[in-house]
Amino acid sequence: MSARKFAADKLLWETLGRWKRSSPELDRIQFLKTVPFFDRLSNRQLKTVSDIMFERTYDTDELVFEEGQPGAALFLILDGKIAIEICRETSTTHLAVLERGAFFGEMALLDDTPRSANARALEPTRTLALYRNDLNGLMHRYARTACQIYRSLASMIGDRLRSTNELVQMKISTDTARLE
Amino acid sequence: MSNGQNFEENERERKVRRKIFYLIFGTLALISGGFLIWKLSILILPIIVGALLAFLFRPVKDRFRVRWLPHELQVLCSFALIGLVLFFAFNTLRKHIPDEEQKLEFKVRLKYKLNERYRQLVAKSPEGKSNAVTPLIEKQAGPLMDKINQALELNPEERSLFLKYAAGYNGKPPIQSKFVDYFRANQNTGEYVIPEKTPTSTASPTTLAVPAPAQPPAAEEGTNLESKISAWILTPLIFLFLGFDNGQIRRFFISLVPNRYFELSLTVLDELDDAIGRYLRGTLLECFLVGLTLTLGLVLLGIPVGIAVAIGVVSGLLNAIPFLGTVIALVIGVGYALIAENVTPLIPGLNPNDLALYVLILVVIVHVLDDVVFQPFVLGSAANVHPLVVVIAIISGSLIMGLWGMLFAIPTVVVVKTAVATFFKELKDYRII
Repeated sequence: MSARKFAADKLLWETLGRWKRSSPELDRIQFLKTVPFFDRLSNRQLKTVSDIMFERTYDTDELVFEEGQPGAALFLILDGKIAIEICRETSTTHLAVLERGAFFGEMALLDDTPRSANARALEPTRTLALYRNDLNGLMHRYARTACQIYRSLASMIGDRLRSTNELVQMKISTDTARLE
Repeated sequence: MSNGQNFEENERERKVRRKIFYLIFGTLALISGGFLIWKLSILILPIIVGALLAFLFRPVKDRFRVRWLPHELQVLCSFALIGLVLFFAFNTLRKHIPDEEQKLEFKVRLKYKLNERYRQLVAKSPEGKSNAVTPLIEKQAGPLMDKINQALELNPEERSLFLKYAAGYNGKPPIQSKFVDYFRANQNTGEYVIPEKTPTSTASPTTLAVPAPAQPPAAEEGTNLESKISAWILTPLIFLFLGFDNGQIRRFFISLVPNRYFELSLTVLDELDDAIGRYLRGTLLECFLVGLTLTLGLVLLGIPVGIAVAIGVVSGLLNAIPFLGTVIALVIGVGYALIAENVTPLIPGLNPNDLALYVLILVVIVHVLDDVVFQPFVLGSAANVHPLVVVIAIISGSLIMGLWGMLFAIPTVVVVKTAVATFFKELKDYRII
């Protein structure tokens, strides 16, 4: 191979590599890799998931969803901060403040039961949304990928159930001790 | 003024600007969209048909999944599969589409047989007595028969062509002699109703002749036809490109939706897609079942398989037009039964001379089966539209777009009904209204 051809090839591959490294698609896949929800997925599977996700941008104080609305999608925070809060007539209780890499509204992937809290952007925030029926569609086309996501979801719900059980146990033992 | 107040003021101004922008943009989009639709109305139907076909065949495309194959190749493979099936179907059907000679023969046979049946119907007894109903039939059906005869009359060109075919023409064997006899008999068929001479019918030399309606120039007609054909080239293109779409179109439209309506729009689109898809595919399946039942019935009545399939396909497709589909199936079926010869029903005990009556009974049975079994089984409550709405929609459809309008009337009504119902339900669920 001539030196000129070799140099041209090198230049081409470098350009392609740079383009690939800086492509939003690759960035998104790199981001998804860091989310515990998708940690079991390969790059190829992450690409499939990334293709069905919607990117949304929220202004400060803008609601992502409201308490009581039917849930339809899971949200992942790409940039910014989201407050999960419950509003009552007189007060607002902040349950959590979520940052980049966190996810919320995951129960919407199971059914359309109403949201249990509000999600509000605390600053300009970018999110990725995964719609329930798109995940169901993935089940038919890429069953292994969808199963792994559902498995992650199940284990996460299991963890929450365990911690809730522990809390209840603690509460019961505290109440019993108080009664005695 | 503090920074916070400044920010709030800016935000408020931005919101007002945004509203004005959306309003102007929306108005401009509406005006330009309306103008384009008005100017390019010839493209609407091909686009709708292409989009509809892509929508109907989406499950086939979705089902055809090979993990290691790129999406575009998968789509091409599934289209090739559909194309292959359609090619064989059309090729089979094409064999039964009559050519020029068969069309002439068919016209001659139909005219002869219809007149023969009519004469049998109004024939007097050997004693020269006729029953009470005969004059009534003659009075009512006579003018109709005259009109039919006029419509089935061969023009001079067709007559000379028929005579050429009768002697063997264009490398084809001569037409059977009995059809030539029919042709001769048809020449002698007179009018059943003798027109009364009215003063207006005898035009005086001073009466001005009514000018014939202006015929469109041949060149203009040709250009119209050409533009219509070139518009239909869009159909396969739309079908192909929508087939290649991997959710990008939906993604684009969802990206335009404000955040507040994001989940709502996803849900509404999905439910609409589901409901409309179920209805359209259900209708297709229903049409197929009706066509199949009719074909089987006609084969059992002794009609040749090719003809039975052709009648079944046409009736099945037209079954998408409520009421009228059945009437058309009846007309085609009974029309053929009237001219059919040497028919031997597969069901024992049936008299071949009463074939038209059996076809009538068959069409009624198929219609009842469609109403009682196919529609509830295949469509469920998806097509729950009031009969009055159906009639109004069909008439409106025919006024706007002719036969295509009639075909698309009910799907349009169902789509609009589902869209409105789903949209309002979801708006309430999301507490927007």
